Amino acid sequence: MTLALLASAARALCPCRMPDLDDVPAGAPAVADPGSVGVVASRDFVHAAPFTFQSGQSLPGFTLRYETYGELNAARDNAILICHALSGDHHCAGRHATDDRKPGWWDNLIGPGKAVDTRRFFVICSNCLGGCVGSTGPSSVNPATGRPYGIAFPFVTIRDMVRAQKLLLDHLGVATLHAAIGGSMGGMQVLQWGIEYPGFVRRLLAMATTSREGAQAIAFNEVGRQAIMQDPAWNQGDYVREAGPRTGLAIARMMAHITYVSDASMDRKFGRRKKGTANGDAYTFDIQFEVESYLRHQGQSFINRFDANSYLYITRALDQFDLAHAYGSVETAFAPVQAETLVVGFTSDWLFPPEQNRAIVHALLRAGKRATYAELATDLGHDSFLLESEDLYALVRSFLEREAAVLVDFSI
Amino acid sequence: MPKLVEKRTVDMQIIGDWVEPRTRVLDLGCGRGTLLGYLAQTKEVAGIGVDLDFHRITACVQRGVTAYQGDMLAFMREFPDRFFDRVICSRTVQELDDPTAVILEALRVGRTLTVGFVNHGFWKNRLATLFRGRKLRNQVYTTEWFESRPANPVTIADFEHFCAAKGIRIARRAHLAGNWRSPRRLCPNLLAGYALYDLTR
Repeated sequence: MTLALLASAARALCPCRMPDLDDVPAGAPAVADPGSVGVVASRDFVHAAPFTFQSGQSLPGFTLRYETYGELNAARDNAILICHALSGDHHCAGRHATDDRKPGWWDNLIGPGKAVDTRRFFVICSNCLGGCVGSTGPSSVNPATGRPYGIAFPFVTIRDMVRAQKLLLDHLGVATLHAAIGGSMGGMQVLQWGIEYPGFVRRLLAMATTSREGAQAIAFNEVGRQAIMQDPAWNQGDYVREAGPRTGLAIARMMAHITYVSDASMDRKFGRRKKGTANGDAYTFDIQFEVESYLRHQGQSFINRFDANSYLYITRALDQFDLAHAYGSVETAFAPVQAETLVVGFTSDWLFPPEQNRAIVHALLRAGKRATYAELATDLGHDSFLLESEDLYALVRSFLEREAAVLVDFSI
Repeated sequence: MPKLVEKRTVDMQIIGDWVEPRTRVLDLGCGRGTLLGYLAQTKEVAGIGVDLDFHRITACVQRGVTAYQGDMLAFMREFPDRFFDRVICSRTVQELDDPTAVILEALRVGRTLTVGFVNHGFWKNRLATLFRGRKLRNQVYTTEWFESRPANPVTIADFEHFCAAKGIRIARRAHLAGNWRSPRRLCPNLLAGYALYDLTR
């Protein structure tokens, strides 16, 4: 009780706190939190028919692991799809057990009475095709060989991920999507949803994203891939999961993590503080600074939950994402969109900077679509879309809950 | 209804009369989206507003008005010539850093530009400055000097001189009395409290 009070007092003092997903101490039990969806369980959707990828390659079928919160209404039109980012998964709210250390990755946004209100909406999130947290990906067993696919797995694109999600939604009986929501790679999927299934989705909410993966973002992805592929344990993608390129994957994650935060936020969090265990001698290559220790921890916790080949495939899917190239121009790409779009950029995001988020809205407007751009001033970098911010919650809630009819209101 | 809101409503009604139904409208300095919400309802316009403030954009979203958070000049540069049927600049010109650049750019992306502003040449405003010797404060400009945004007060005479100097055609004008309701055609720079213009190239 005292702890909970302290926590809420701390939150009130610091309204813009970032949940540090790999680093949080044990939270309060889910049952004590009325805003939580509580204890949740994942399920598997098995698509037993052949699936052809954009590359022309195909699979005899696939599995998507997913979670849902809330209830689908009688009209089957209150569903909201959550799309995760590169290293995310389907577990975006609640806990799998009451004593789980941390809740799903977007638990601050999704739940009863929260900005994505599960009393009102039926929320769905699935692990993406090509992923490694229950959905079919390169670490899945190839029925033809009895061994993991490895790099024999078909190349995956953002569009493939979206098409697989559509099959899941059809299976769940969703008639129309009230909204698709996602940040970063999730935002790319959201845009693709509006293009691929224009009559099916009514609202698109994309944050910290782009319509075209730029050279800098591709460059970072390539460094991560090289770290993995230069690790001898990668072995051309042929490894058993426990003995994969753990060093390479950890380095890839350490590097990528830097691109998700910012100079200001890292300096605030770590500064030049020395690790307590560092001895007085500065002339060693042992860990000296807290930021080094933190990044190593990020790398180590990542290799226990992520597959290196999935990392290669998904970063490649990001690199390939270029709506202008795929459709001739961004305006042509957006021509079929029927949904209303809200794009949110973050001032300190240097992976998908505000200009790239603005450009999405410019193109949608030039294509004659309904689109809004909002920008939050934060210094937390790309991961700002996970921010605990009442301003962001109010915006998201307004976008999702506004009725179609506009009421007369002369207030200024 | 408070006086200011009543005045604001008159401004909206006149702009509403000038806007053609089902056209594409850009509102520069859209605030909380009141005008665009009204135009969407009465004229079924496809509107987009531009404003700098996150909370005002949220208010627009709540109202069902699409809006863009950012610099209006940079925003307009993203659009081809005559993309918008009408650009509206209602009670915004006096706060612009570079009014010439904004107005010329608005005349490029819009077929028509509607500008509405409080006439600082109105006799009451002149007397207030003459007798009080202080920054103008009234129902419309309620703030002290030290809590105001930078303002670049404009009069009807100034504005018409600007249009003549830049070769901008005044297609339509409305000069309103101090109550912002009755028309005031005689000596508008002295007797009109509010002015509205439709401009074209």
